[in-house]
Amino acid sequence: MSMTINYPLDWFFISILFFIGAYCMIVSRNIIRLLIGFEIISKSAMIAIIASGQHTNAINLAQSLIIIMILVEVVVIATGLALIVKFHNKYQTIDIKKLMNLKG
Amino acid sequence: MIIYVLIYLIIIGAAVLAVISKKLINSAIMLAVLSIGVSLLFFSYEAPWAGVFELSVCAGLITVIFISAVSLVKQDDEEFKEDRTKYKIFPLILMAFIVISSIFVPDYFMKISSFAVYVNNSNESIGKFIWLYRGIDIIGQITILSASVFVIKHIFFKKSDALEEK
Repeated sequence: MSMTINYPLDWFFISILFFIGAYCMIVSRNIIRLLIGFEIISKSAMIAIIASGQHTNAINLAQSLIIIMILVEVVVIATGLALIVKFHNKYQTIDIKKLMNLKG
Repeated sequence: MIIYVLIYLIIIGAAVLAVISKKLINSAIMLAVLSIGVSLLFFSYEAPWAGVFELSVCAGLITVIFISAVSLVKQDDEEFKEDRTKYKIFPLILMAFIVISSIFVPDYFMKISSFAVYVNNSNESIGKFIWLYRGIDIIGQITILSASVFVIKHIFFKKSDALEEK
């Protein structure tokens, strides 16, 4: 059971997932939705790494990279949400356009 | 073969629902469904360690963090009126992207996949990879984790803590 799925078909789904996350990050004005789009993009990157590892017979190296990547993702999400909650407590909004007045 | 396509369809459906759903709490729950689908995919790719981490951390911890943050900013979320046209037309844009990419993407990646380098060290255990080959990543991991702890401590710094120390 070496080759489980057609490799370009894999990349086709990954590119669709990347597009969904990028669209969410581009059009949204809600800061939490930006982080949701970031999460979707990072999921597509994870699937890309695992699929490449499976394809090139290096699945254990890909797993060790994914474990580190998951921790970095959790750190980014937790810090970002903490910043959003602090921002909301100060300015009573979660609109990204209101961040424009943070100059300097 | 067909089960991979089914798992991919679950993942993409959950991602679309996470983008177009009106309430943020539904988006967070759909993100958990997406993580469960990704972990199922990892298990089917014979990557059980990555699947376990994905299921416990991304589907569990990140969902809890998201739901708690959404409930903290909930009052404003209900008042925050955003133009929803861009979310309503999103399935159409996605369909257009799928049609266009189904023409170009498989050929391009078929060309790229010919550059793949096949390795023969698949018998070595994952612990050997983490500790011997990628050992420097552990230092970076610890640095990022401690930096995040200090940042969150600094963000939620209270003046009463400083007064008590004095």
